[in-house]
Amino acid sequence: MSVTVRFKFMRTGPVRYLGHLDMLRYFQKAVMKAELDAKYTEGFHPHQIMSFAYPLGVGMETYGDYMDLEMNACEDAEALMGRLNAVMHEGIKVTGAVILREKALNAMAAVAEADYELVVTGDGKVSGDSEKKNAETVLTAAINELMARSEITGVKSGKNIRPGIRILECRRCKDYKGSNDEGADDYELRLVMRLSSGSKLNVRPADVFDKLCGTEAVNESGIRFKVTHLYRMEIYGNDKDGRIVALNDKTAE
Amino acid sequence: MDFSDRQTALSHDILMSIDKPSRYTGGEPNSVMKDDADIRFVMCFPDVYEIGMSHIGMQILYGMFNSMPDVWCERLFSPWTDLDRIMRERNIPLFSLESQQPVKTADFLGVTLQYEMCYTNILQIFELSGIPFYSADRTEDDPIVIGGGPCVYNPEPIADYFDIFYIGEGEVRYRELFDLYKRFKAENKSREEYLREASHIEGIYVPSLYEVTYDENGRFTEMTPRYEDVPARVKKQLVKNMDESFYPTAPVVPFIRATQDRAVIEVQRGCIRNCRFCQAGQIYKPVRERSPEQLKELAREILKNTGYEELSLSSLSTSDYTHLKELLDYLMEYCGEKKINISLPSLRIDAFSLDVMSKVQDIKKSSLTFAPEAGSQRMRDVINKGLTEEDILHGSEMAFKGGWNKVKLYFMLGLPFEEESDAVAIAELCNKVAGVYFDTVPKSERQGSVQITASSSFFVPKPFTAFQWAEMNTPEQFVEKAKITKAAVRAQLNQKRISYHYHDTGTTIIEGIFARGDRKVAKAIEYAYRHGAIFDAWTETFSYEGWIKAFEETGVDYKDYIFRVRDDDENFPWDFIDSGVNKSFLLREWHNAAKAQKSTNCRNQCMGCGAGAFGCGVCVE
Repeated sequence: MSVTVRFKFMRTGPVRYLGHLDMLRYFQKAVMKAELDAKYTEGFHPHQIMSFAYPLGVGMETYGDYMDLEMNACEDAEALMGRLNAVMHEGIKVTGAVILREKALNAMAAVAEADYELVVTGDGKVSGDSEKKNAETVLTAAINELMARSEITGVKSGKNIRPGIRILECRRCKDYKGSNDEGADDYELRLVMRLSSGSKLNVRPADVFDKLCGTEAVNESGIRFKVTHLYRMEIYGNDKDGRIVALNDKTAE
Repeated sequence: MDFSDRQTALSHDILMSIDKPSRYTGGEPNSVMKDDADIRFVMCFPDVYEIGMSHIGMQILYGMFNSMPDVWCERLFSPWTDLDRIMRERNIPLFSLESQQPVKTADFLGVTLQYEMCYTNILQIFELSGIPFYSADRTEDDPIVIGGGPCVYNPEPIADYFDIFYIGEGEVRYRELFDLYKRFKAENKSREEYLREASHIEGIYVPSLYEVTYDENGRFTEMTPRYEDVPARVKKQLVKNMDESFYPTAPVVPFIRATQDRAVIEVQRGCIRNCRFCQAGQIYKPVRERSPEQLKELAREILKNTGYEELSLSSLSTSDYTHLKELLDYLMEYCGEKKINISLPSLRIDAFSLDVMSKVQDIKKSSLTFAPEAGSQRMRDVINKGLTEEDILHGSEMAFKGGWNKVKLYFMLGLPFEEESDAVAIAELCNKVAGVYFDTVPKSERQGSVQITASSSFFVPKPFTAFQWAEMNTPEQFVEKAKITKAAVRAQLNQKRISYHYHDTGTTIIEGIFARGDRKVAKAIEYAYRHGAIFDAWTETFSYEGWIKAFEETGVDYKDYIFRVRDDDENFPWDFIDSGVNKSFLLREWHNAAKAQKSTNCRNQCMGCGAGAFGCGVCVE
């Protein structure tokens, strides 16, 4: 007998430079330290049965990633979350835990879409208020230009990624920690995206950003945009009726 | 402190453009952040992060220093060549991992010297930090630069680069150095005054306070203190009671995979064996054990605080640990419950070790390791390796019967008094081991076939060993001997079951020069570094020709350090160090080697080497 627990986690700050395997090793150690009743493989070198919904790339931060852990038994998933957080460190934190129902898809197979936010600046040009407003106008035009196309070829896949761009907007946002509330002008520009993810059509936020930078609107502006932070905000799966629901939703397939 | 708010010294763009950026961002579990400390100590391992973080000595001192409220110890490793280039282009000062602040702002820069081939990396650290290469050029704005580790048993080739060398085990004298530093800082005393006073602390060697003289051929004659109050000899420091010394129960756990990615307990320090080629065996004398009770507790604590899934036992010769059975019985049960793997060091192959190995390893996948070091019994007697052919063949037989069929054998070539027949004997020994397999395992029980992997490294004579008088082979001689062995392997009956490899000769020669060179070598190291030498321990970055050119251009007669037998009464640049082991004992052993006469081990019978004066460990058992 065993039960799978799905943990939701965030990672921000300098730990964003860890690769996917480093995160796996980090969580394996955290499970050991927290003395969770994890299930192990058989043999001379037993290891935990752990999997992630979507490997985190080097440099990416997240507020909504998921890790599945197989356990011998678990009655109270929330309590596990507390035990894990007691041994967590440096910008990695578990923010939720649910026991998966039997026959639920594993995290990776369940992924359908994901939300991203990209903090955008230009090469030293987008700091003052009027410059930011200009950049915002440029990006909005670029988004309109891009979304008007029926076909956009993905950089790596060569597939048409246009159907996979569900949402693409430019927004004014406060710093995520809510620390800068000195005035209405003190905001940053963010590209907000919802993109198809998973095995059928996987759209990477960096690809969408590159495509935006290649639009006429951006070329004409002369601004060289760059991304300083890339956040994954949430990962979604489908419920039995094909509706989009967060991966830790009880109705997720 | 909120770790996620920590600022990195490198920008996002830079971090995204280099290999393994988390080598440089710090913040690993159990790393220590402090807001304020009287003394900031940057501890440097001059190689890449993954190598340096695998070193237990650094973890010991890091933990010990940070247990002192007034000291903040931070870590520093060599930036790989990709980041090195960016830092030079953009004038980014080298920074320590914890604070991400420039190294130059620290009070001390400690460099652990684990192998000679890291010497050019030290200059990289200095240059990227903006610290002058030579102690003489440093000012009050620079950290005090301290070297420690096994290479300080001949620090002379890099003596001009260091303000201080700490001779011996770091646990003992650092507190005195720190207290003196705080006192002198409060009294506004100069760097020069500090170094002078520090030289009075036992085990502390301040190279600038000594004068070196050479004869008309440029050969070292003697080293004398410049001042009366500076001691003529510097005494090795060592921990007398291992159970009372600091051991880190919460070592820093790297995010990225380090070379040694596991929890480590040090079961004992030193070795009883007296192999004549081995420097560690002499400089860590006498052997001192930790109690099994303490080791059990350490293992539990470390595993709990790190979450490691593997535990390893560390020492020079774990089979000699007197409580090994008790310790392993306990650890196997404890780790078995918690699904923690035990990784065994190279144990001597006997019934006990085979039994243990069969419980913790997959026999089909694992291999057996022997280190006979030499092929013939005569050569093993020359080097005093107390392993007989009978031991090897009998051990192999037991292992083959137990289901193993992979054997690794380690040898050295270029040993003193070696003849052609000794190179051939390596092949013959491999053949005999393979033969034992065919004789003991019936055809019906064979799974796959026996695989013998033999490798030979080339011998480098080291200070404070019986072979410190010996001459090294030339690269041509090394290769010739390796070819003899290789041809002999091909001539054996079981040759298809044997694969043979040998190491690079170039690094061996340069290592030999650094091991027994004198102060004149420093300028050749600087020359080589200025002409591109870095990461010399890595084959992809090492250039033998570049090094030979550096010696020639700077007029360093490198051949004189390695290609001659030294006279019995020759003064050595490292003689000023009192390692506890007398030179007369080593000379006796050198003469015994010439006669292929074996000696004993410390537990069997005291040989009167001099280390008994420390009054601890096996010497008082």
